Amino acid sequence: MPSTTVQSLSRATTATFEELALLFPEHELSPEQAAAPLDVAVSVEFRGPLRGRLVLRASSVILPSIAANMLGEGASREPPLQRDALGEIANVICGNVLPAIAGVEAVFHLSAPYLHDGIDVVSRDADEPMARVTFGVEDGRAETVLYLFSDVESVAPASQGAVSAA
Amino acid sequence: MAFNVLVVDDSAVMRQMVVRTLRMSGLPLGTVHEAGNGEEGLFVLQDQWVDLLLLDINMPVMNGEEMLRRLRAAPETASLPVIVVSTEGSETRLAALHALGAAVVRKPFAPETLRDTILRITGVTDAEYYGPVTVTSDDSDF
Repeated sequence: MPSTTVQSLSRATTATFEELALLFPEHELSPEQAAAPLDVAVSVEFRGPLRGRLVLRASSVILPSIAANMLGEGASREPPLQRDALGEIANVICGNVLPAIAGVEAVFHLSAPYLHDGIDVVSRDADEPMARVTFGVEDGRAETVLYLFSDVESVAPASQGAVSAA
Repeated sequence: MAFNVLVVDDSAVMRQMVVRTLRMSGLPLGTVHEAGNGEEGLFVLQDQWVDLLLLDINMPVMNGEEMLRRLRAAPETASLPVIVVSTEGSETRLAALHALGAAVVRKPFAPETLRDTILRITGVTDAEYYGPVTVTSDDSDF
C-alpha cells in the first residue's frame, strides 16, 4: 500500500469523524476496542479518473454515539438512522480522499452509500485494498478500506502526500 | 431577520444534519423546506419564498449544478443566495459553481463555518444578526 494513500485516507477519516460525528479516532487501540467486532459495513462506489470503492466497517456499539452526535439524541435509538449516519460518514470520507489521491482537478461521481447487512462480502475476492486504516472509537473500532479497481496500475505515489492518476 | 431556508440533498440524514447545524448556529430561522433533488427543489421554489438555498451537488434526477443553472436563468431566482454544501473537491467543478454565484462549504464542516458563510453571502452584518450592542463604561479617566 502506498504510504501517501494511507496517510490521505487516515487524514480524511480522522477529519470526518471529528467534525461530522464529533468523535475522536484513536490510532492505538485498547484491548477492548481491538476485540470489538466489525459487524456493520457501508460502501460508496466512485468513478472518474479512478474507479473503485470505499468501505467503512464499524462495531455496531459505536453507532448510537455517531447518530446522536450527528442527528440528536432521538436518532441514537433508531437503527435505520444509525446506519444512514454511518453511510454519510463513508460518503464524506470518500469525497475528501479522492482529490487527495487523484488531484484537485479530477471530477468524480459518487454513488449513494450502500448499507451491507452483517459482514457480507463488500469487495471482490481479487481486489487488493489500496489503503486501509483501522482505529478505535469509544468502546469499539472502525476500519476504512479503499479499493481501486481497473486503474490500480496507473496510480503511483507522488510528492507532498498525493498520488497522481493517469 | 428570520431566514426561510430550502435544503436540497438526496440524503435525509444529511438534510437533518444541516438543519440541526443551522439551529445550533444560532441563526434566526423561519420556515425550513426540504427537497431530495434539484427537480423537487425547483418545485418548492415555485410556491415558497426562501431567503437562502443550501444545495448538495451529487443527487439523482437533477443534480445541484443543473438546479443552480436553472435558478440563475430565471429572473425571480437569479440572485437567490446559494450555498453549496458538498463533499465536492474538484476545483474544476468548484470553479463552475463559483461562476454561478454560489458559495461553497465542504463537508465535513463546523457549525460556525456554515453560519459565517450565510452571514457573508446574505449580506447580514454582525450588528443586524446580534442586535445593537450597548457599551457601558466609566469614562471619568478621559
